[in-house]
This record gives sequence, structure tokens and C-alpha cells, in this order.
Amino acid sequence: MGEPDDDAPVPLFGTWTRIYAAVLLNLLVMMALLLAFSRWPY
Amino acid sequence: MTGLDWAVLIVYLVAIVGFGIWIGRDTKQISDFFLAGREMRWWAAGLSVMATQISAITFVGTTGQAYTTGMSFLVVYFGLPIAMVVLCLTLVPFFYRSGVFTAYEYLEKRFDSRTRTLTSLLFLFSRGLAMGVTLYAPSLVLSVILGWSETTTILVMGGTTILYVVHGGNKSVIWTDVVQMLIIWIGIFMCAGVAIANLPETFSLRDSLAVAQITNHLEMMDVSADPAKPYTLWSGLIGGAFLAMAYFGADQSQVQRYLSARSLQESRLSLLFSGFLKVPMQFLILLTGVLVFVFYHFERPPLLWNAQAMHRLEREAPADAAAMNTALGSAHADRQAAAAEYARTRSPQAREAYVEAHGRLSSIHQQAGRRITELSGAKSYNDTNYIFPSYVISMLSGGLAGLVMAVIFAAAMSTLAGEFNSVATATMVDFYQRFVRSDASASHYLWMSRLFTALWGGFACLVALRAGQLGSAIEVVNRFGSYFYGSILGVFGLAILTPRASARGAFYGLIAGMATVYLVSRFTTIAFLWYNVVGAVTVFVVGLVITAAAPGPARPAAA
Repeated sequence: MGEPDDDAPVPLFGTWTRIYAAVLLNLLVMMALLLAFSRWPY
Repeated sequence: MTGLDWAVLIVYLVAIVGFGIWIGRDTKQISDFFLAGREMRWWAAGLSVMATQISAITFVGTTGQAYTTGMSFLVVYFGLPIAMVVLCLTLVPFFYRSGVFTAYEYLEKRFDSRTRTLTSLLFLFSRGLAMGVTLYAPSLVLSVILGWSETTTILVMGGTTILYVVHGGNKSVIWTDVVQMLIIWIGIFMCAGVAIANLPETFSLRDSLAVAQITNHLEMMDVSADPAKPYTLWSGLIGGAFLAMAYFGADQSQVQRYLSARSLQESRLSLLFSGFLKVPMQFLILLTGVLVFVFYHFERPPLLWNAQAMHRLEREAPADAAAMNTALGSAHADRQAAAAEYARTRSPQAREAYVEAHGRLSSIHQQAGRRITELSGAKSYNDTNYIFPSYVISMLSGGLAGLVMAVIFAAAMSTLAGEFNSVATATMVDFYQRFVRSDASASHYLWMSRLFTALWGGFACLVALRAGQLGSAIEVVNRFGSYFYGSILGVFGLAILTPRASARGAFYGLIAGMATVYLVSRFTTIAFLWYNVVGAVTVFVVGLVITAAAPGPARPAAA
């Protein structure tokens, strides 16, 4: 498996683990917001 | 369109071609032409990845779809961020470190030459014909909107793109993509803003969303487990993830974008960029479609969105057209009154009146669609793609309509540019250099690459010009891609996840995967988003079984 092995620091997030987690967390937050958006009693 | 609108569109076309040619002026060898010298920054490659994915028909089609059925299509993109993370951890490092030009080149290093040849041929066949559709679909719509002939629209769109891609290769593709993606973003925000601003003063955004909610236009979280339903949360998360992995991991038009980055780190970042932005971007596009839907509660919508079809209906069945127009006017007035009442009171009675009027109005649209189908002798009528451009042309002024037309051109050209460059790359690297001339000079390869780009561009224009006569063949081409994308993804899965998988297992697994997807699509009602899952899993399992039955020499996954 291709583990990240670049020495250069990852912009903003510092590590690859953090940026991957941020992408997935961003998806979860987006889905939660979209659920609220679609079901909100306007 | 006004003179100012035309000026905006023409300035865009001239400027983008001029910029594309200027930025690619240093292209001297095929590594420049195909991989932009591997010197792209992550944000440039990332914007290019996004621009290549968003075609013109995605832009006008999804807004139209949001108008007619709502935002449920958004789930297709839920799997994309997951796919980007998986690809960054798996395929991207293998591609980048092996120094390949094409994704399929890697398969020869890992398996054998026939697996590379077959996958590259499948890509060329499918993408080659799909380029014609990429060009034809928006040209068909824009020709009606702009009043140009289809031929003129196809030649302007295809010809301008060929000019700068032939000259500057991938460097021109990526930098023009960056500009075009920024134009697309500006256009998306502007369209959403104008759609909100165009609502009546007495009808707030909250009221608009409340009305859209009645007809389920805001619904996008269907948790049904029915595999026949096209857009559920599960098909979006799982099927969408496989679709995105197949597209970004096995389609050269995307692989080439991130292989142009200056390091593996920047290559990964370019994909993760899309992982962050794709869902919100599509949300804004779909929301614009919903707001246009609400806007047409206060402006009478046409009976048919395709103006040519409407003229034909009025010419060949004037009595029917007049009757349906009168009924539409009445249903529209009732729906408008019911929507205003619901906005004021939120009462169940107003809601019921709205549902009744909306149902009546929809049924009149369907009736008109059936009538024009009878008159034209076509199998069906669908004017979803005409809704958004019609709205833009009739409601936007002061050069904004020209800007949105430029956005639609930008979306089409950015996709076409990546496609032209990628099919030329596969032709040169996977076939010409292997089977025709393996010892020619750098200059020869560069000029042949330019020739292949021009030929493929010309072929796309030819397919687009003939697409009207091809009819259902176009549908077959569109389906064909979904038969094998997942299967090719399965081959890449075998290549990097199972060190013992043999070349024979990969080759016959690929054939078994494509056959299985064909059978599933032909004899079941399973929705298309699941095809890539079926293909990838079948290839993986069959490949492992064949390897176990007849083991081949083990070859390392890393290059």
C-alpha cells in the first residue's frame, strides 16, 4: 500500500492523516447540514 | 441576447484561445505536451480536475433536473470525497512513482502488455465517442438559445478548443482550466444571487424554500435500501464512491491532470481539493435550479422549454397548442395564488390548493411533451436541458446573459480540452510509441502528438455533427462507459492490493466484469450507480479465483 512518504509538510493540516480526516469530516458536516436544510420547517 | 452579451461572449472566446496559445508557447517535448513538464502546483491541477469533471451539460442539465425533480441528484457526489481519500492512499502513489504517462501504462509494468492494450483501447473507444456527446449535447441547446446552427455551434466550441490544445498541450489545458473554473465559480454564485434577487419582494427566500419543500424539491436524503432507486443515500455513498474512484483513478482524462503536479504531495492535494469543494459546488448549482423553479411561480413558464419544439407545436397543431396554453395560464395563476397564500399562512388548505394546481400544471407540460413527440415521431421528448439557458436569456440583462453563456462554453471547453489531450496521450504512448515508431526524435513525437490531438478533435466534431442521426447509438455510447469503468477499477485494485494476482487473472477478470455489468444492466432494475461496484467486485473476485487456479509469476505492485 502506498503510505504517504513525502517529507514536505502538508499545508494547513500538518499531516496526511489530519487532511484525510478533514476531508471525511467535511463530508459528514456537509451531509448533516444538507439534512437540516432539506427537512427544516421553513 | 443584447450587443453587450455578445461582446462578453466573444471577448471570452478570443481571450481564452489567446491565453491558451500564449501559456503553452514553451512546449518543446512530449513530457511538456502531455504532463505539462510535471511542474503544476496543486491548486492549478486541482482546479483543472474540477473543470474537466464539470461539463456544460452537467451545468445546464443539473439545474434543469433540480427544476423538474429537485436536488436528489446531489447524492451522486457524496461518495466523491471518500473516493479521493482512497485514491490518495492507493493508486496515486503508484502512478506517480512509476513515472507513467498513462494509467494503463502502469498495468503493463504490473501485469502484461495485453491488459494495458485492452484497457487503453476501451478508454479510447469510449472516451473518443463520448467527446462527441460532450460537444453535441450543449451545442444542441446553445444553438437554439443563441440562434446559431448546430454546425456553427459545434465548430466554434470544438474548433477553439482544438486550437489551444494542439498548440500548448497539457500546460494550456491546465491553465485555461484554471481560468475557466474561476469563471464557472463566478457564474454559479452570480446565477444563485440573481435567482434570489429575481424573486418578488413579498416572497422571501424562506418562503421559496417552504414552497419547494411541498413538492420534495429539497429532498436529498432518501435512506431507502431499494437498489432500483437511482438516488438514495447508499447508492450515493457506495455507488458514488466507486463511480468517482473509477473516473478519477481509471480514466486518463483525469489521471493526466494530477500526474502533471510537481510532486506526489501536490498530486494528492489536487484531488483532495475536489474532495472539499465538489459537494458544496454541486449544492449551489442545484439550489439555483430550485430557485429558478420558484421564480417561475411568478413568471409564466412556457409550455415547452425548447423554443423550436414550441414553434413546431404552434405551427402543426395550433388548436392543441392554444388550448394547452390557456390551460397552462389558468394552472399557473392558481399555483401562484396558492403559493402566495401558503407563504402567508402556511395553512394545510393553502398547501392542498398548491399541490392541486402544481399537479395540473405538470400534467399540462407532460401533455404538451406527448403531443410534440407524436408530431416529431421521436421516441420521447425531454427539454430539461433547455430550462436554465432559457431562463438566463429571458431574465438576465446588462451582459450577464453573455457571461452565463461564456460559463456554459467554459464548462464544455474545459472538459473537451482534457479529453482531447488524454486521448492523444493514450494514442501516442500506448500505441504509436509501442507499435509504430519506438525510436523517433523528440521533435517527431511532439508533432505527432499535435497531429493526434487535432485528429481526435476533428473526430469529436464529426461525431457531434452526426450525433443527431446516430440517435440511440449515442445512448449506447453513454452506457458503454458505465459497463467497463468499474471493471477497469477492479483491475487496478487487483494490481495494487493483491501482490499475487496474475496477468491472466486480471485480463479474464476484466472481461468477466464487463460481461456481468452488461447482464446486470440488461436483466435487472439495479440503478446505474451500482454498476461500478458490480464491475469492480466481479473483476477482483474472478481475478483472484483464476490466479488461485492457475498462478502466474508474482510481480511487485510498486514500480
